[in-house]
Amino acid sequence: MTVVLEVRDLKIGYGGVPLLDEIAFDVLRGQVFAILGGSGCGKSTLLRTLIGLQAPLAGRVHFRGIGTPEQAMSPPQFGVLFQSAALFGSWTLLQNVMLPLQKWTQLPQDAVREVALARLRLVGLELAAQKLPSEVSGGMRKRAGIARALALDPPILFLDEPSAGLDPVTAAELDELILTLARGLSVTIVLVTHELPSILKIADQCLMLDREAGGVIARGAPRDLAEHAADPRVLAFFRRQSSPRNQ
Amino acid sequence: MAPTGYSLTRDDGAERRVSLTGSVTLADGAALWQELRQALAGATAATIDLAGVARLDGGAAALLQAVRANWARGGRPFRFVGATGEVAHLLALYDSARHGAGDEPDPAPSSLLGDVGDFAHDTWRTTQAILAFLGDLVWSVGRAIRQPRTVHMGEFGLLVERAGADGLPIVMLINFLVGAILGLQGAIQLHRFGGDQFLASLVGLSVVRELGPLMTAILITGRSGAAYAAELGTMTVNEEIDALRTLGQDPQRFLVFPRVLAMVVVVPAMTIVGDFLGTLGGMAIAVGYLQQPAVVYVQVFQQWIDMLDIGTGLMKSIVFGIAIGLIACQRGLATRGGADGVGRSTTSAVVVVLFALVALDAAFTWVFSLLDW
Ligand SMILES: Nc1ncnc2c1ncn2[C@@H]1O[C@H](COP(=O)(O)OP(=O)(O)OP(=O)(O)O)[C@@H](O)[C@H]1O
Ligand SMILES: [Mg+2]
Repeated sequence: MTVVLEVRDLKIGYGGVPLLDEIAFDVLRGQVFAILGGSGCGKSTLLRTLIGLQAPLAGRVHFRGIGTPEQAMSPPQFGVLFQSAALFGSWTLLQNVMLPLQKWTQLPQDAVREVALARLRLVGLELAAQKLPSEVSGGMRKRAGIARALALDPPILFLDEPSAGLDPVTAAELDELILTLARGLSVTIVLVTHELPSILKIADQCLMLDREAGGVIARGAPRDLAEHAADPRVLAFFRRQSSPRNQ
Repeated sequence: MAPTGYSLTRDDGAERRVSLTGSVTLADGAALWQELRQALAGATAATIDLAGVARLDGGAAALLQAVRANWARGGRPFRFVGATGEVAHLLALYDSARHGAGDEPDPAPSSLLGDVGDFAHDTWRTTQAILAFLGDLVWSVGRAIRQPRTVHMGEFGLLVERAGADGLPIVMLINFLVGAILGLQGAIQLHRFGGDQFLASLVGLSVVRELGPLMTAILITGRSGAAYAAELGTMTVNEEIDALRTLGQDPQRFLVFPRVLAMVVVVPAMTIVGDFLGTLGGMAIAVGYLQQPAVVYVQVFQQWIDMLDIGTGLMKSIVFGIAIGLIACQRGLATRGGADGVGRSTTSAVVVVLFALVALDAAFTWVFSLLDW
């Protein structure tokens, strides 16, 4: 298995104040890599640092064979779903998905449209293609964000809570899609999620973060963590209990 | 045509048969789209053989399915054959028939002295940021000239319309009124000294050299400057600017460039209209208050105001336009926080632009006086 993303001694935070420290991991090609942790522990911050939108306080992020996150951005080697979806508010869902295709392919306009429509169809949004982001539900915005992230068939996807706000059936379909992309097409997927069933079903590796510990508290395959973890905070997460320190 | 990763062969039988081999990817999508169209043109039934395809990606699968969907709409038979494994899986995935449908430390308490210090510091930082932004913009103008394709001018027409056409009535009204007020004040004074006929030169020079460009720029700042700051600020807060970066789009070239250019076009154009209406306002007073024939006013105007006067006003207005677009966009992109941050950056944009306009105007007046223009 080849490493596609290397993270070493990473320290992240805002305005010089560290949030998490000593983060280190490798992500392999075709792996589904889940970042777990309580609300506000810094998962989105970590994701933003991985994709180069935020400078780390220390340490480095390296895309194998490409370089820094900035170098991986243009042309885009990865697709990103933001937690807020971050669709362009004055454009329709279709135009949102068409943008990267217009910028980075030589396809004629009608073909760009077809490809963008196909991406929307993939996430079940074909009928909402002409709607503005403000005219669709939060879950639909999320799915449109996934369609936009997929637009250029990037080898790596970063998804911040892709299934938040989705009903169980749609969420399960999304899991299937993620598995298809990872297993079938060797797309590497780094995602933040809270959905335990989904983690157990799709994730190959988990990285569990904790705000109070100020860093990583567990790493490994989800089944191993669920069955053999010694840390009470990890067990609490996998057994769906309230955290021991809150009892 | 650039070499492609796939190759396409066709067999024009009763049923058109097209075979694809090799690596069929979105990177070659443009060629694929065109070749498939040509290969299938005029046929009544078609089969695409994918047995030799080593690799297919999602985008190419979407294109193939789009071709098939177009055919299906025409009621002509169309089949994919030979797809196995991953290729079949992806085709199925993109089959268009498939779907219908924290706790932070408290901020330190503030003191008056500290506030003054913060203000000075903020002002200095804002100035630095705007100058750095100007540098970036000049840099991206250079790149845009070399690679015009990378600039997003799709919105340009709309931006000009919103800033220009939509703002025209208010610019006309205010300039007319300013011309009239100036005319009335001037008329009262001039009448005392028996200098009625000089009203045209008084109003004309003031409007064309100073008030027309400045009033117009101030009005556009209130309309478009504030709108740009709020729009880009909201985009920043909603992570849309971040999303733009991850799609490999430079926000400078994508958002700032067309807006600054719109201002460079709109502000001088509106200034010309404003100059005209301001002069007309003066004439209304000359005719209505001083009972001067309109022809006299026009003649005196022509005698005293030459192209250089109008030209210096327009020169200013171009620079004003750059300042409005640049500062408003910079303030918008520098937004931090949520909705309140958008409010702050909009206020800041208007205040900083107004300050810049007055400072630039003073500088111009000084330079023009040195040049004896
Ligand atoms: N722009 C910012 N400036 C300063 N602090 C911030 C900023 N954004 C987030 N934070 C702080 O960083 C911490 C981590 O935020 P982050 O968004 O990474 O959490 P998260 O793990 O993604 O939470 P959630 O699961 O709720 O999305 C939070 O405590 C938050 O208050
Ligand atoms: Mg988050």
